[in-house]
Amino acid sequence: MINFEKVSKFILSDISINIPKGEIVGLIGASGSGKTTFVRLACGLLTPDLGRVRVLGKNPVNYRQKYFSDVSTFIVGKNLLDKETSVIQNFEMLRIMYGINKSEFYKRYNEISEMLDFKGYEYEKVISLSFGQKMRVEVAAALILEPMLLLLDEPTVGMDQNAKECLTKILKEKASEGMTILITSHDMQSISNICTRLAIIDKGTLIYYGSKERLRRKYLPKNKMTITFEGEMPNIDDLPINRYTIDNDKITYEYNDNYISSSEVVEVILDQTEIRDINIEKSELESIVMQIIGGQNEFYRSE
Amino acid sequence: MRITPYVAYAKKNFLGRSAYRVDHFLGILSTCLQFFIFYEIYRALYGDAETIDGITMSMVTTNFIISMGLGMVFRPNDFFLPGKIWDGSISTELLRPISFKGRMIAENVGDSAFNLIFKFIPVFLIAFFTTGIHSPAGIFNVALFIISAVLGYGVLWSISFAVQMTAFWLINIWSIVTIKNVFINVLSGSMIPLWFMPEWIGGVLKYTPFSSIYFTPVQIYLGQLGTAEIVYKCFIQIVWIVMIYLIGDFLWNKGQKKLIVQGG
Repeated sequence: MINFEKVSKFILSDISINIPKGEIVGLIGASGSGKTTFVRLACGLLTPDLGRVRVLGKNPVNYRQKYFSDVSTFIVGKNLLDKETSVIQNFEMLRIMYGINKSEFYKRYNEISEMLDFKGYEYEKVISLSFGQKMRVEVAAALILEPMLLLLDEPTVGMDQNAKECLTKILKEKASEGMTILITSHDMQSISNICTRLAIIDKGTLIYYGSKERLRRKYLPKNKMTITFEGEMPNIDDLPINRYTIDNDKITYEYNDNYISSSEVVEVILDQTEIRDINIEKSELESIVMQIIGGQNEFYRSE
Repeated sequence: MRITPYVAYAKKNFLGRSAYRVDHFLGILSTCLQFFIFYEIYRALYGDAETIDGITMSMVTTNFIISMGLGMVFRPNDFFLPGKIWDGSISTELLRPISFKGRMIAENVGDSAFNLIFKFIPVFLIAFFTTGIHSPAGIFNVALFIISAVLGYGVLWSISFAVQMTAFWLINIWSIVTIKNVFINVLSGSMIPLWFMPEWIGGVLKYTPFSSIYFTPVQIYLGQLGTAEIVYKCFIQIVWIVMIYLIGDFLWNKGQKKLIVQGG
């Protein structure tokens, strides 16, 4: 669906990536790392200095307006809607512009406007909306076209928790229907909920691309399990546990997912004592990403 | 090419203009004031004279009302593209499934239709009944006047289009737009009728597009041109439209290229 071959542009350097159909890919990186440049290359608003970009098998710069109904792009800060007209008028203009059947379009509109909760101000001019309200409406404008490929640059900026959750739900639905989605965000939590794959960019270099699970397993496989037990303290000398701490009837183990699974730990303990409560904490995606970006040089050595 | 989106943009602008009623009435008032000030100045200059250089006061008045009226109708938005460059929305415009230039024309046509119906006609009627403006030379002249006026609009739009394209490099084109407007106001004959210009200026103006904007339609309306001259002048208007449009289009393609190479 999206194919970059050794692409260099501005800060982006030697990027090679292939995003297959039906995936939701989260593009993560700090400000200025090249996320928006990536999106602009993918939608044909920029041409690479080096390398080759193909979207739906074609050069997006040449086919930008020809495959308009296949690709929909939202770039934060770039107005998608006319600010001087009302929300509903803007959507009607979109409908006419993209030649979408009226009943089909308004069926989609009613669904999205209710989910993203902007029906209450659909007759307001876009200019009079708050930033968060405008974001909901603009993201909806990109979604309503139901393209094969949806490019969203920082769509959750300014959105409240409720709107983020609704957006997550909509995007998951669209992906299950076969839509391919590329989403950039600073908001790791939203991205980790939505995406099936992650691409991490640091200072213009792609330092990771793959599933969330692989990322967690490979780069920070530490789990923390806290068990409240009743009876004798279990003996875990034979288990590959990194370290443990005891607090009265609670014992906390830290172990590596690559060497022992949580169920194996529980099994050994259950053989020796009675368990009243178990709590397993997995590493937060955000801390993994921060660790990777922070210690990039180390990361390369481990590769 | 689907025409529906362009009709929708024209309609949107037409209806959008009608929302600002106070601005609309003040626009009519200011145009009437402007017209009557110039009318009184020329009446004072004419004094008791019937004609000056063979030009009657009613011809001057007719020139004024038609060129001012057309100037009011033909008002391209010189800041359409610069506005999109300033707020960054030019990027999203380039992703739209419609022609950006087509949209520019459609929005201008919507504005012009509004100005024609609600500004030009009221001002024309007020001037017609309060001053002695000429009636058209004949029904044939009215038809040719309309054609020539539309071509004049084409010339004016092409100039605005080419000037706007410089915003890709200059970003702020306010000064260039001002200079362009001064040239159009003075050299198109809307402020000072071209009959009164010195001969050498008239000679130079033949080689510029400005007289094609308002003065050619006025001459056709007044019946000052024969059929062959009308055809020739309309042909000149078409030549100007094509030439200036091609310059604008060249800049448009270069500007787009600049955007996709340098970003924007």
